[in-house]
Amino acid sequence: MGRGFRIVVLIKQVPDIEKVKFDFEVGRIDRSSAPAETNPFDLHALEAAVRLKEKFGGLVTAISMGPKQAESSLREALARGADHAILLTDARFAGADTIATSRALAAAIKKLGEFDLILCGEKTVDGDTGQVGPEVAELLNVPHVAYVSEIREVAGDKIVVVSDMGDKYLCEVKLPALLTVTRELNAPRLPTLRDVLSARKKRIEIWDADALADYEDPNRFGINGSRTIVVKVVVPGTEKRKGIILRGGDAVEKLFNILEEGGFARP
Amino acid sequence: MREEIVSELRSIVGEDWVITGEDRIQGYLYDETPPPMLPEASKDVAVVKPRNAEEVSEILKLANRYGLPVFPRGGGTGLVGACVPTMSGIILSLERMNIIKVDRENLMAEAEAGATLADLLKAAEDVGLFFPPHPGDEGAHIGGLLACNAGGARAVKTGVIRNYVKGVEVVLPTGEILTLGGKLVKNNAGYDLMHLIIGSEGTLGVITKAWIRLYPREAVNATIVIPFEDREMALKTVPAIFQEGLMPLAIEYVEKSLVEKTAQHLGLTWPCRDGDHQLILILAEASEAALYEACEKIVNICEKMGSLEPLVAESRGEQERILKIRSEIYSFLKPNLVDILDTTVPPAQLLELIKAVEELGRKYNTYLPVFGHVGDGNLHIHLMREDGWTKEDYDRLRDEVYRKAIELGGTITGEHGIGYIRRRSLEKYIDKKALELMRAIKRIFDPNNILNPDKVFP
Repeated sequence: MGRGFRIVVLIKQVPDIEKVKFDFEVGRIDRSSAPAETNPFDLHALEAAVRLKEKFGGLVTAISMGPKQAESSLREALARGADHAILLTDARFAGADTIATSRALAAAIKKLGEFDLILCGEKTVDGDTGQVGPEVAELLNVPHVAYVSEIREVAGDKIVVVSDMGDKYLCEVKLPALLTVTRELNAPRLPTLRDVLSARKKRIEIWDADALADYEDPNRFGINGSRTIVVKVVVPGTEKRKGIILRGGDAVEKLFNILEEGGFARP
Repeated sequence: MREEIVSELRSIVGEDWVITGEDRIQGYLYDETPPPMLPEASKDVAVVKPRNAEEVSEILKLANRYGLPVFPRGGGTGLVGACVPTMSGIILSLERMNIIKVDRENLMAEAEAGATLADLLKAAEDVGLFFPPHPGDEGAHIGGLLACNAGGARAVKTGVIRNYVKGVEVVLPTGEILTLGGKLVKNNAGYDLMHLIIGSEGTLGVITKAWIRLYPREAVNATIVIPFEDREMALKTVPAIFQEGLMPLAIEYVEKSLVEKTAQHLGLTWPCRDGDHQLILILAEASEAALYEACEKIVNICEKMGSLEPLVAESRGEQERILKIRSEIYSFLKPNLVDILDTTVPPAQLLELIKAVEELGRKYNTYLPVFGHVGDGNLHIHLMREDGWTKEDYDRLRDEVYRKAIELGGTITGEHGIGYIRRRSLEKYIDKKALELMRAIKRIFDPNNILNPDKVFP
C-alpha cells in the first residue's frame, strides 16, 4: 500500500425518514413530502474512510446511484473528506431492487480499478434491507463483514474488525474487502463551512449505463435486472390511547370485562 | 378549601376535572424556576381543568364571589414562579383546551391555550408552514407563551412571541369573554388591549385561545458553529454579521466548556472542539443559492474577525442535535443553580455587560456561567450555589448585575418576565410612574385582585 489506501464509499440519498409521509393510495413513500438527506449510516462509513486516509494516506472515492439530485449527497461527501465523487445516473438504473443496484455499483467499482477497501452503511433508512453491501462484495468476489462497530487494526493486507451481530465477533479479513458499518463505529464530524462551499465547485463525475457496459450488461440494471418487485407496502396505522372512566359499584366488574375482551386478563 | 366551593367547581367543569388532595396536586404547584428561588406553594388548593372559555368564565365569577385567588397554569415551564399558588385558591390548568386548527390560506394558527409549543410546531409543519420562534422547552403551553411573551433562540430574524400573535380570546378576571384582534395583519381599532394582555403574566386575564401568524417554511437551513479563541472577538462578530445584511434566525453565544459538559451529560458529543468561545448561527433561506451566498459572507466575516474554522450542519438530525445541546444547558446547570437571569441590553452593549459580569465573578469569587441569545442582546447569567453564601449574598450580586444592565440602557428581564421572584427588582428599576400606571390597570381589570395575585407587583 505504498500508494496509500484506496477506499470506495457507497452513498445513498434517502428521504428524511422521520419526516417523510406515506402515500396510502399508491402504497409508496411520498418522496416530495420530506427533504432528502444522505443515508445517516453512510456518514459513518465516510468518516471511517476519512480517518483511515488521514492515518495511512490514500484516496477516498464516493459513489452513489440515484437521480440527478443525489449529487447533493455526493457534494456532502466531498465536503466531509472524499476526494472524488461519481454519480451513476440513468433512467436505465431506475426501479432497481438490491441486486440490480449492487450490479451497477460493482460495475462502477470495477471500472474505477484497484481498491483496498469498500465501506458502506449497514443499511439504508428507507430500504432497510442491508443487502446491497454484501451483494456488491459477492459480485466483486471480495470478502465482506457486516455490522462493523469497530476497526481494531490495519496491518499489511489485513484488517481486523469487530462485527456486532447482537453478539460481537472479532474478524480478520484479507484486503481488498468490503465492510458495512454501524453507527457505533464513530461519530461523524461536521464539515467545515469552507469545505462545504468549495465542494459546491468540485466536479462530480456522471456515469450512465453505457459507461458501465464493459463491466456489466446494461439490461441487467434497473427494473429489467431486478428479481424482486414490490407488490404493496403496508404501514401500520397508529392508534391513539383511549381513556375510559368507570364509576359506581360495578366499576371493578366492568374493568374486568374490558380487560378480558382485550385479551389482557383470563376470564 | 371549603367543600361547597369544590362542589360548585365540580358542577362547572364536571366531576373528574377538579382535583384536590396533597398527593394529587403535587405536579401542579411549581414550575421550572430554580428551587432556591421558588416560593413555597400553598397546598390548600384545588386544581380545576376547564374545557372552554365559558367554563373559565364561570370559575372566575365564582372566584370573585368567594374572593378566592385563581392561578392560571400552562405547561409549568416558566422560570420566575409566575404560576406558583402562593396562597390558598384555585389552580386553573388549561391542559384540556388543546386544539389547534391551521388556516393555510391566511397563514394563521388558531390555537387553544393548553396546546403545547410542540403541538404548534407540528401543526404548522404538517401543512408546510413554520412557526419561527423557539422559546426553549417545547412542553410550554400557548397560553403561557403569550402570558409571558416568551423569547428564546429564534427571535433574531422575526422577533419574540408577541410579534406573531394577531388575536387572543381572553377571559377577564370579572368573567367577561373578550376577543381581541383575530386573523388580522393590521388592526388599529382603539388601544391595543391584546398587547397589554400579552406579557401580563396571567394577572389581567386568562388567555384561552390565540390566533398566531405562521410563515412559509424556508426552503433550506443550516446551523453554523463559529469558534473563537477570545470572547471579545466572538461578540464583536455579531454586529458585523448584521452589518453585512445577514439576518439569521438565531445567533447564540456559548462557552465551549459548558456546552461540551452539557453534551456529555446528554450522552452526545459537541461537534466543535476548537476555541473556548463559540457562536451558533441558524440560517434559514428561501433557496439553496441564497443560503450559500450567506455562507460565503460568513466565511469572509469570520476571516476578518479572526475566528477559527467554522463548521456547518445541514441535515435535520445534526442541526437538531446542536439546538438540543444548546437548549439543555439550563437543565445541566440546574442542580447547582440558584438563579438564571435573562438580562438584556442593546445588542452592541452586550460585550460591556459580559465584561462587567466577569468582573463581578472575580469580585465575588464565584463562577458565573453565561450564554445567551446574543443576537438580541439577551444574556443568561447564572448564579451558582456557593458554600457559605446567604440569600443576601446572591441578592447583592444579582442587584449589581441589574444595575449594570440598566446603566447600559438595558432591562432586568428580556424574556422570563417578573413573576414572583423579580417583583422587588421591578419596583426598584422601573420608572415610578410606569409602575403606578401598571397597578392602576391591574385594578381596572381585576377589582377584587383575584387573578394571579402576588405576582408582578410586590
